Amino acid sequence: MESLIWLVPGLPLFGAAILLLGGKRTNAWGHLLGCLAALGSFALAAGLFFTMLGKHGAARSMHQHLYSWVPVPGTGQHPFQADVAFQLDQLSVVFILLITGVGSLIHIYSIGYMSHDPERRKFFSYLNLFLAAMLILVLADNYLLLYVGWEGVGLASYLLIGFWQAKPSAAAAAKKAFVVNRVGDVGLSIAIMLMFVTFGSFNFGTVFGTAGGASKGTLTAIGIMLLLAACGKSAQFPLQSWLGDAMEGPTPVSALIHAATMVTAGVYLIVRSHAIFDLSPTARLLVTIVGAITLLFGAIVGCAKDDIKKSLAGSTMSQIGYMILAAGLGPIGYAFAIMHLVTHGFFKAGLFLGAGSVMHGMDDEVNMRHYGGLRKYMPITFGTFFLGYLAIIGCPPFSGFYSKDKIIEAAFSKGGTSGWILGGAALLGALITAFYMTRMVIMTFFGEKRWVPDAEGHEPHPHESPLSMGLPMLLLAVGSVAAGFLFSMNSAFVNWLEPVTGPRAEGKLPGGLNSTTLSIITLAAVAVGVAIAVVKYGTGKVPAVAPRGSFITVAARKDLYGDAFNEAALMRPGQYLTRTLVYTDNRGVDGAINGLAALVGGTSGRLRRLQTGFVRSYALSMFGGAAALVAAILFAKL
Amino acid sequence: MSVLTSLLAASPGDPTNPGGGLGGATSTVTNTFTAPHVEYRALMPMLVVFGAATVGILIEAFLPRTRRYWPQVGVSLAGVVVAFCFVVANHGMAETTAADAVSVDGVTLFLQGTILLLALLALLLVAERGTGLVDLDAFTAQGATTPGSGGERAADAAGLRTTEVFPLMLFSVGGMLLFPAANDLLTSFVALEVLSLPLYLLCGLARRRRLLSQEAAMKYFLLGAFSSAFFLYGVALLYGYAGSVRLSDIATAITSSPHSDVLVLAGVALLAVGLLFKVGAVPFHAWTPDVYQGAPTPITAFMAAATKVAAFGALLRITYVALPGLRWDWRPVLWGVAILTMLVGAILAITQRDIKRMLAYSAILNAGYILLGVISTTSKGVSSTLFYLAAYGFATIGAFAVVTLVRESVRGGSDSGDGGEEDSVTVGGEATDLSAWAGLGRRSPLLAACFTVFMLAFAGIPLTSGFTGKFALFTAAIDGGAWPLVIVGVIASAAAAFFYVRVIVLMYFSEPLREQGAGPIVVVPSPMTTVALTVTVALTIALGVLPQMALDLADKAAYFVQ
Amino acid sequence: MNPDNYLFLSALLFTIGAFGVLIRRNAIVVFMCVELMLNAVNLTLVTFSRMHGDLTGQVIAFFTMVVAAAEVVVGLAIIVSVFRTRRSASVDDANLLKY
Repeated sequence: MESLIWLVPGLPLFGAAILLLGGKRTNAWGHLLGCLAALGSFALAAGLFFTMLGKHGAARSMHQHLYSWVPVPGTGQHPFQADVAFQLDQLSVVFILLITGVGSLIHIYSIGYMSHDPERRKFFSYLNLFLAAMLILVLADNYLLLYVGWEGVGLASYLLIGFWQAKPSAAAAAKKAFVVNRVGDVGLSIAIMLMFVTFGSFNFGTVFGTAGGASKGTLTAIGIMLLLAACGKSAQFPLQSWLGDAMEGPTPVSALIHAATMVTAGVYLIVRSHAIFDLSPTARLLVTIVGAITLLFGAIVGCAKDDIKKSLAGSTMSQIGYMILAAGLGPIGYAFAIMHLVTHGFFKAGLFLGAGSVMHGMDDEVNMRHYGGLRKYMPITFGTFFLGYLAIIGCPPFSGFYSKDKIIEAAFSKGGTSGWILGGAALLGALITAFYMTRMVIMTFFGEKRWVPDAEGHEPHPHESPLSMGLPMLLLAVGSVAAGFLFSMNSAFVNWLEPVTGPRAEGKLPGGLNSTTLSIITLAAVAVGVAIAVVKYGTGKVPAVAPRGSFITVAARKDLYGDAFNEAALMRPGQYLTRTLVYTDNRGVDGAINGLAALVGGTSGRLRRLQTGFVRSYALSMFGGAAALVAAILFAKL
Repeated sequence: MSVLTSLLAASPGDPTNPGGGLGGATSTVTNTFTAPHVEYRALMPMLVVFGAATVGILIEAFLPRTRRYWPQVGVSLAGVVVAFCFVVANHGMAETTAADAVSVDGVTLFLQGTILLLALLALLLVAERGTGLVDLDAFTAQGATTPGSGGERAADAAGLRTTEVFPLMLFSVGGMLLFPAANDLLTSFVALEVLSLPLYLLCGLARRRRLLSQEAAMKYFLLGAFSSAFFLYGVALLYGYAGSVRLSDIATAITSSPHSDVLVLAGVALLAVGLLFKVGAVPFHAWTPDVYQGAPTPITAFMAAATKVAAFGALLRITYVALPGLRWDWRPVLWGVAILTMLVGAILAITQRDIKRMLAYSAILNAGYILLGVISTTSKGVSSTLFYLAAYGFATIGAFAVVTLVRESVRGGSDSGDGGEEDSVTVGGEATDLSAWAGLGRRSPLLAACFTVFMLAFAGIPLTSGFTGKFALFTAAIDGGAWPLVIVGVIASAAAAFFYVRVIVLMYFSEPLREQGAGPIVVVPSPMTTVALTVTVALTIALGVLPQMALDLADKAAYFVQ
Repeated sequence: MNPDNYLFLSALLFTIGAFGVLIRRNAIVVFMCVELMLNAVNLTLVTFSRMHGDLTGQVIAFFTMVVAAAEVVVGLAIIVSVFRTRRSASVDDANLLKY
């Protein structure tokens, strides 16, 4: 079984290759092949998981060395060794199960969702490509290969956000996502370079094993660069701005990439690199700050958006903020970060698919103010969406309760003032989450119809989606309900991850709190959030056109001026800088380069004339060359 | 004058008999004659190829003209494949045979294998006759007819084919197999001539633009003969110095003599002229662009790839086996040659307008890179040279294969005046002018993609064979202490990237030529060229993505026998 | 006589041949000059053979002759076909491939 690890990313990669190279010939069965590749990969992942269960202790970590790509033995201090090798341990197996499992469901969902799209085959090839890249990312046993996967998911995400590239907004969103991600990628590449310089290797084993020997400053620098990378990929403050726009992509993409899997790559990166963060409290503190800011930021944005997907995007940002916060807390939080990541993968994917189903039924309307009363028309969608809703707000015994509650508890138990602040932020986040999610459910499924006829005057006819869409939603709902409970039985999940993340440190809650009282406080906060939303939206009429709202609402609608900030703080000065640089470049550097180019070109033009076409002049050059050769070798000696 | 004689007397090749009489020598030789032991298995690759070539001659002699093509193709391909099998079967061999004239060791076998693979691919291009619709024969109907004469038209109309190209190519391949294996300078010389003479003829047999083709043949022949005279003089001087032409004897003579003298140094320099001419190093490169442009494109592909392998093989063997004692003398000279070669190749390629000429200058540039591996004088240098030769050879054959498919369109019925405007557009010669390649990516995306792969490989972009090869070469050169050369190499690569990428830009981002209503035509070849193209693209990418196996093979093969 | 003299003579002949290649226009004459160079080398080889008292040099001389003969066959074929095309055997006339 161990030798099959490469097939896990291999299958979707082959799928993507066949679909892309096969072109139109594969139109008829392309989507089925895509699903098969994803399912096959899932089956393999499951098989590997059970193999792992059959083993104990250190044997659970499996390795597969495929080949070394350009090994350079013995040059200089650090032999350069770029390997393509996979490592499957307790952490990555969780990820590959999540990625392939949720991925397969979303593949199946897309058969129905994209059935009217002429480019469905291409869509599936991109989805497969994404799966392959994401699996390489989590299976890599060194940072360089991880970087390959990292860039791969970036590419797939770009292609999928811009899938409807005819829409200018989609093309712009894809570009934005790509550019913002690039900032993070630079962070990762700098981190990798630093690692190579410091440890002489990219290998997880070597890096983590020798991390203790490096200076604190270097480790902090590496940690900060890794955090920057995580911020880019996971849409954390200050690189959060692309995620909302990314909702221009088809909804399954939002569910797969921008909710369940890709955006969690940052969390994976931090937890995977815990050996480095463990040694650098400064870097860890920064991580928690980023997490706390983002979780509030996302939640506030989620409250104000009327676009159902953008509201969910804000929610994603906020939930990943929780995970990053947990990861930053160190040994007390790593396992919960991953646990929340998995439960979030289920319920957020379910919510997105539900939103997609609603849009499918409502002629691609995304404005929640134009929904209302859909409960009766789409019972399955409503049911699954509601279960996801209960999970995300942390209502016991749904999965979100177990994971989020633990994170809040861990934040408080960090101790000191920072513990109070972080815990408070997390608690406030839970309240806001309850508010915006209740608002979303009420506006979509309850109240009266506020449907708006389309341009030609047709009333929308909401209908339940086909089975291929309903089934994944049902399965994900099961996950949203049960995952948390299963994971926390006997601390199963925490124990499972312990060999990777190190033994879990038990935090001590401050100020006479204990975990029961904290749970009650959290639930109370959630109840308050729900109550406010019900009062505000459930009792009165929801206006079809958004009221102007308060200062905060206006700000939140504009993503808390994230874009404006980027524009003012980065883009304008950037443009100014670029213009100055272009000017200097044109005048100075280009002058030199152009001069050089002209010189080379001129030399070339002149030398060309030496190639006269006359045999005798060629012979002369040979004769002269021979004479020069003899003379040189003799004079060098004499 | 007496200085020379005394030096000769002191030379170790002849310790006892400074002015020895001829008669005495003769009697010793006849008295002690024993037949040399010949290890036929080691020689099989060459014997098979020469045998196949001879069969080809017999086919020419006994089969009627119209029925020669398929037997010739079959015999040539079979000969090359069988020879390759023998090379593979001989792996790990390390011995000299045939009275020490031939040494079969790792380097020989690796290069022979490479040459045979390249020859196989080139044979596929040479054998291309097009599909039923288009005639893509690259060779003239009858070499003896004068271009433009009635005889030529008659030969064309009769559908004659120059099938002599197959045995000629096989003889050339045989010479190439022998050249890197030659363990004495006489064998080297003979191999050099055996590989060159058929090539001179092949260059002159193009179907179209025969004036250029004949001119190329004449230039190549005259300059080639000129250079081999230098080579031979070098052989004579080294013989005079060492009293033997065997490489190991020369090495012993050099190391056991306290001081090297004029004879050996001049001999080495003149020997180098012959070898550097064949690899196309500056200042012995002048023939390269003209001949590459004028020769039939399949032959250009064969020459550019396989000759370079053979000549560098010989250069490696002579420098590593015979001249390690003189390392400090020939290395500085080769430094200069390498620098000049890289710079001239890169600079001159920039202003070329003809794709074949551009590739010729690229060949010169690459010869400069490969010299780095020779100069490093380490086993790493040998293995990186071997790898680069293979990587470069495949990419070159592929690039020229693409060139054979981009054709000019000739308007049919030109004598029927305006009435014939819209009718038959027939396939003409190769559209080698760069401007004709504009917009190729839009018209024929697959072909343009193939060519892009080769251009990227030449430019040394990662994930292609060119990157791996250059990386290995430059590392070896740095290990060998030749870092200034590496700097020049990198600068040259930067300049070179310009003209390689320019072609890509031209293919993808320029508007196709439309002024005459019909730009160049991309023809659909028979499976032969398709196979060659597919294999070269696959190898070029494979050697970039998964180079480990090939690198290991080259590492294992980097040993010489004395 | 001092065998060195033969060496100098052959060097002289080689140089004359080389200069002939450089200055003569007729392709046949150019080719003959190359042959002269080869034969100058033959003289060198034979001389060294005599000086060393071993036969290798003479054997090489024979090989050289054979090779030169083969070269003549190929060379004349090319030159004659060029001549028939261009009605001229001047190497300076064949000047289409350049720059």
